[in-house]
Amino acid sequence: MSESLTFMMGDFAAEFPTDRLYAKNHMWAIPKDSQIVRFGFSAYAVRLLQDIYFLEFGIEEQAELKSRQEFGNIESKKAESGLYAPMTGKVVRINGQLLNDPSGINVDKYGEGWLMEMQGDASEMLSPPQYLEHLAKAWDVAQRTIKGQANTIDSNEE
Amino acid sequence: MVSAKIESSTSNGLLIVVSQGQSRSPEKRSLEDSIATIAASLPNTTSLVVPHLYDLASDSQSVLKMREWSGPIAILSWLFDRAGFWVLDRHEIRGQHGEVQLLNLDLVNDDDDEAEDKEDEKAADRVANIAIRPSRKIYSIDMRAGSSGEVFAAEFRRILLAEQLDAPKKDLLSLDRFLNPTNSTALSMDGSGRLDGNASAPASHESPLGIVPLRMDEHPQRRWYPVIDYSRCTNCMECIDFCLFGVYGVDRGETILVEQPDNCRKGCPACSRVCPENAIMFPQHKTPAIAGAPVDAGGFKIDLSKLFGAPERDEDPAEAAARERNEQLILAGRAAVDFSPATATLEAVAPKQERKPDELDSLLDQLDALDL
Repeated sequence: MSESLTFMMGDFAAEFPTDRLYAKNHMWAIPKDSQIVRFGFSAYAVRLLQDIYFLEFGIEEQAELKSRQEFGNIESKKAESGLYAPMTGKVVRINGQLLNDPSGINVDKYGEGWLMEMQGDASEMLSPPQYLEHLAKAWDVAQRTIKGQANTIDSNEE
Repeated sequence: MVSAKIESSTSNGLLIVVSQGQSRSPEKRSLEDSIATIAASLPNTTSLVVPHLYDLASDSQSVLKMREWSGPIAILSWLFDRAGFWVLDRHEIRGQHGEVQLLNLDLVNDDDDEAEDKEDEKAADRVANIAIRPSRKIYSIDMRAGSSGEVFAAEFRRILLAEQLDAPKKDLLSLDRFLNPTNSTALSMDGSGRLDGNASAPASHESPLGIVPLRMDEHPQRRWYPVIDYSRCTNCMECIDFCLFGVYGVDRGETILVEQPDNCRKGCPACSRVCPENAIMFPQHKTPAIAGAPVDAGGFKIDLSKLFGAPERDEDPAEAAARERNEQLILAGRAAVDFSPATATLEAVAPKQERKPDELDSLLDQLDALDL
């Protein structure tokens, strides 16, 4: 495994390999040939989601997405979220393994648990140090948001 | 003991259907199993386990099985109770709303007097008040309302009492025929396709069929389509005018229906936003108001969408609907259509949620400001 940077989410040390780029919506990005970029969830996203039970793509391969366009859903034990395009471009490949068993994301988020490949302009992706700066800003608000919503969840599970 | 007289309409007791979740959540599976097992052990009940209700095709074995049942049904699903009821209705498994007391506390909303007043004014226009459903009760229970089988058992006992089915008088023969039809004891249907409950042969008490849940071995693909709440729908035709994918149609009585559900664009809830009566549900949508929750209802899980890049949405429902429809048109290789906020549709749209901003709203505003 290559070197990585660490961001502390409370007591949890989230690791971010430096062999790749990152999108602001907490996906990692590995540029491959001819404008193809492979995306997956960063340790930050996986930590917030925790055990993933359900992943659904609302699109098929070859779909054209605009940056931040919703293209699917993800649901975990404690949370759910829409999936939003990390950049503008064409979805050229979806990781079919995850459709059968989305827990592959928990098992190997930086490898076999990749999400999809898109063709497009990845110039807005962040370098690992830039992403860590972004996280420092995002983490504080994320914590409070989760805490605010989590109160409802706890009373619900009584 | 064999009971002497069995009324045909209730001879089969209460059918308790557990609709399984789509996801692989072990907690959900375990609760489903425990509910189904308890349901089977109660007097005058039959326990049936089916795949996720929403994914079932209308001619699937599970739906055909449920259609055979003429008596009351309790349907348990991972859907809002309103959605569960109307998904069944769509499958032509119809009845009147049975009162359910086991509710998710998050959804109990005690200041909706105004909404009820409004409803009264329009009562005469609602499709369900014109096309009257059968009198048997359908009790739709959201499985998120409880975390142990016992909680559900208490609700089943309450329903059995309300249906006057609390005394042990299971008609095992017709039950046996429901659970295990064979050539010799094939289900006999009356003209309306209902199970003939007037069995006269002596019943056996040794039948294990009433004790273990019956499981339908089907594995439907996930589906996505609108479900109409006909107790709200006024047949105004806004939806059929709005949808450009040919999902909606009308029946011979000119009543709106979801005619081509599989034409619907996966993930697109746009028609639900243009419905002036909030009568269109997408039971799997992550916004509770669209998934069939009462207005003002809270979510159940933490929604991380804002953290994961959901665009800032400061648009009204009509604008959101037009944007979503255009996104789907483009994905389908078609041209987007113009939307002018001056169209009549906009005026007809009722706000989905009217409430004061709370602490969470201000937190979310801060999220937007951060440009995540």
